[in-house]
Amino acid sequence: MTAVRRPRVIYANPSRAARPRPEASGRERFWWYFMRLSGLALVILALGHMFIMHVLVELTGGEINFAFVQSRWGTPFWRIYDFLLLLLAFVHGANGTRVVIGDYVANRRARSLLIGILIAISAIWLVLGMAVIVFFDPNTAPSTGPFS
Amino acid sequence: MITVFGYRVSWAELAWFGHRVSGLGVLFYLFMHIVETSTVLFGPEVYDAAVGIFKNLPARLGEVVLMAALVYHALNGLRVIAMDFWPGLTVYYRPLTYGVVSATIVAMIPMAFIMTRPFMPWGG
Repeated sequence: MTAVRRPRVIYANPSRAARPRPEASGRERFWWYFMRLSGLALVILALGHMFIMHVLVELTGGEINFAFVQSRWGTPFWRIYDFLLLLLAFVHGANGTRVVIGDYVANRRARSLLIGILIAISAIWLVLGMAVIVFFDPNTAPSTGPFS
Repeated sequence: MITVFGYRVSWAELAWFGHRVSGLGVLFYLFMHIVETSTVLFGPEVYDAAVGIFKNLPARLGEVVLMAALVYHALNGLRVIAMDFWPGLTVYYRPLTYGVVSATIVAMIPMAFIMTRPFMPWGG
């Protein structure tokens, strides 16, 4: 006679790949929800971007070059799409790295230092990326570069 | 259970580790991608030279790895979200994890072929 096997539901850490939702409301709970909601949006935004750039462009015999960017960022839709993708992907990635640092660096001062460096570098890169998307002008872009 | 370097490792632990590695890898690429794309402000010659760095077989293979990392991270992330909001699904964490890994492999076979084709003997 076989015993009835009851399924064991792990409520403590349902995802078994991340961390349980923080009990207390506050900053950590905000980031917990942010990672999941931005993750849902990024499934569409990031996979869509990669599929267009690496599969559709290849299938249609297109090529990624300056003219391609000019026509693409000539429409507000793709500029907003890329801006959202950049912002969400970068904040999602930087916060993920912060969580990983927190898991492996036990020393408090070393941890604060690493997270400080991470935030500083991320802020510079994110501002640079957003500036490129916002300020690129398809019409007044120079025909020759400073290194040509 | 599977054994890695003498340690017994569960699929859940491997899925978790893969999620971290793929996430950090995609973020590293994103840093490079922002630098590469920012050259568009210097005009066609500089930008076309910058993207030209990626138009060869080794770079394309790197992009295939990037795509695989992103597809895995996205599918595994959906599994995490589903299990977080519907705890009853944790009963099926093993088949769901197998599903994520299989779906990644199945999706990557045609995409790897399409992405590398121009630099392969059968492409052009």
